[in-house]
Amino acid sequence: MQISNFWFGMSLLALWGFMTLIGVIVEQGRDPSFYSANYPPALARLILRLYLDNIYHGTAYIALIGVIVACMALATFKRVIPARLPPLHPVKIEKIPLHATIALTEEPSRARERIEAFFRERGWLVRKRENSGVEWTFADKQNWARRGVLVAHAGFVLIAIGTTMYWAWGYSGNTTILTGSDVTIPQNGTRLRLDRFAYKITPIQTRGGLVYQPIDYVSDLRVAARGAAPHPAVLRVNAPLDIDGTLYYQASYGAALAFGLTKNGRPVSGAPRAPLKEGEGFTIGSTSRSIRYDRFVGTIDRDGRIGADPRPNNPGVVVDFADGDQTIGSLLVPLDRDLDLGSGYRLRIGDATLFSVIEYRHDPGIPLVGLGAFVLLAGLCISFWCVPARIYVRVDETPEGSSVGIAATTVKGFEIFEEQFGALVDALRGDLRGRGARPEQA
Amino acid sequence: MSFDQDLILGAISAYVVATLAFFNYLLSRAELSRRIGIPFAIAGCALQFFELAYRGTSSHIWPLTNLYGSLSLFAAMSVVIFLIFSFRLGTWFMGGFVTALAAAFLAYALTWNEGYLPAVPALQSYWIKIHVPLVISAYASFLVAFVSSLVYLMKYYGERSVAEPAGPAPAAGAELSRPAPRSIIVGDSPNLERAAASGNALALWLATLPTLAKLDIITYQIVSVGLPLLTLGIITGAWWAKEAWGAYWQWDPKETAALVSWIVYAVYMHLHTRMTWRGLRCAWLSVVGFATIVFCYLGVNIWISGLHSYKM
Repeated sequence: MQISNFWFGMSLLALWGFMTLIGVIVEQGRDPSFYSANYPPALARLILRLYLDNIYHGTAYIALIGVIVACMALATFKRVIPARLPPLHPVKIEKIPLHATIALTEEPSRARERIEAFFRERGWLVRKRENSGVEWTFADKQNWARRGVLVAHAGFVLIAIGTTMYWAWGYSGNTTILTGSDVTIPQNGTRLRLDRFAYKITPIQTRGGLVYQPIDYVSDLRVAARGAAPHPAVLRVNAPLDIDGTLYYQASYGAALAFGLTKNGRPVSGAPRAPLKEGEGFTIGSTSRSIRYDRFVGTIDRDGRIGADPRPNNPGVVVDFADGDQTIGSLLVPLDRDLDLGSGYRLRIGDATLFSVIEYRHDPGIPLVGLGAFVLLAGLCISFWCVPARIYVRVDETPEGSSVGIAATTVKGFEIFEEQFGALVDALRGDLRGRGARPEQA
Repeated sequence: MSFDQDLILGAISAYVVATLAFFNYLLSRAELSRRIGIPFAIAGCALQFFELAYRGTSSHIWPLTNLYGSLSLFAAMSVVIFLIFSFRLGTWFMGGFVTALAAAFLAYALTWNEGYLPAVPALQSYWIKIHVPLVISAYASFLVAFVSSLVYLMKYYGERSVAEPAGPAPAAGAELSRPAPRSIIVGDSPNLERAAASGNALALWLATLPTLAKLDIITYQIVSVGLPLLTLGIITGAWWAKEAWGAYWQWDPKETAALVSWIVYAVYMHLHTRMTWRGLRCAWLSVVGFATIVFCYLGVNIWISGLHSYKM
């Protein structure tokens, strides 16, 4: 099978759609334990063994897109273009579904001149060819639009090249900055210092109840590109910072907490010196037991349970306790209060320090991807909205004068051009009648 | 009950009247029914757009930040696109289905109406005023294409179910209670012509619909509008994602579900270039395409969590 084969291309597209759909249905990028816990065992094994948990970045998916691009490029030049730009060859008029015959009293050369003038006046490109002693007239409409598929496919290829440029020369990552601290981006040496992070959450009464709606996240930064002086900058969602071609985005935030652990009033080794963020933990001294900061709670209600308000009114933290890999239990712990863990151990969780999570990305392929997207769109519009048509006209001499055989083909079949063809033939007949000819039935 | 909800109920009522009128037109070809259906469909749209504008101006919140607002626009745009195509191509026979679906989606939208809620930070962008209407218009186009395909399938299977009567085919120019054949290429099947000539009620009714070839072209022309709109919607969405989340493509379930729909309709357009695939197979593919649109629009928003989970 040739790689430019139409059905091979369609099969590839169908396979692409199917694999993409798998990625929609199967949660992507989770730990293996997630699949074991949430799917039937056989299905979980299948997902993990076939790498369906990260399908879009798998070799098969990327290779499939590569084959599609190759198939498309070959098919465009080997099949689509030759088929869409047919040579000016004669046809059997009566074999074409869209055809008509007009009988005239004029001699053929005069009739031909009038027909050519008729099409030229209506913006058709008129060309003549002689074949086996018969003179043919060809009229083309929207001939340029025959290249619409080429344009669309070129757009797709540009997108693929732009995406490859990111893989080859781009980078991305994310960094977490505690208020009052700074970080250096490893790829470009840019230094970011977080002076302040603020968020706004507004309680709103809806028909379904009280909703705490996030309204704004703002990082007040001081930014210094490599070798440059720092300057203040404000980072918000939907308003990325562009520093030397790398874009920085406000991604997330959270509260870091200082965990203090003592035994009989003295600090225990292994207790963290820096504030912990959600998901982080530490082992208690030389034991096998560990403490993990599960999540920050804005409000502990009067019953000691997690309140709905995420704003820090009566803040607390959910702490997980584990022995080895086994979780022993979880506790909701208020901030700034001692918690007796037994055997002389006491845990105290201090004030929260807000941190900002900032994503950064350097993508040299973006201009090409953007260009490709619009070239693809332009190609689609040309291909779908224009109907390039060709009219074939043959004028034969008859005892009464001449007989005009006229037929039409389009790149989209015949039905789509049926009404226009009928109108065109009627107009031609009327035009010829107006000039003294004797048109007969179509 | 609030004023905006009154407007929506008014729109639903207008669509119900339009549905009854258009279905009567479909069954009887009574011109009066069509003339009643058109103004009611336009009135329903007008009420919906007025409601969206009222919501926006009274709350100072862009009304398309939640499922209620987008479903409302989806219903309105479906009717708008149906009206545009019908004024151009005379596809009024689809009106009953389109307005019925619009009324159903609008009624469903009401169940998601939680009142006025300001946008979360990710949605506070001018892109919401470009991306969402484009994508919703694409979905609406595919709904109308779906209806066109349904009519095709109805006619196709209806033709097959009409029993072939005994006797020769009617002579050319035989008086049928329908207009003269409308296609010089492919008319209705001889079976249908014979059954209609013998007075079979179903055949007579099916013969009032456009030919299968014409219905196929109508679907193609609607998909030809929907697919570029969906492409532009995906492009603007990618552009917005680049500003909001840092990457123009994150393989979020909504993005990938939209890609699946795009692929299905791209396959449709490719297969439509093949004579053997035009008609029945492409009609079924259009139905499958709309199923992927419903999954992408409602399934992903409601059942699958991701960056696009904006229900309220």
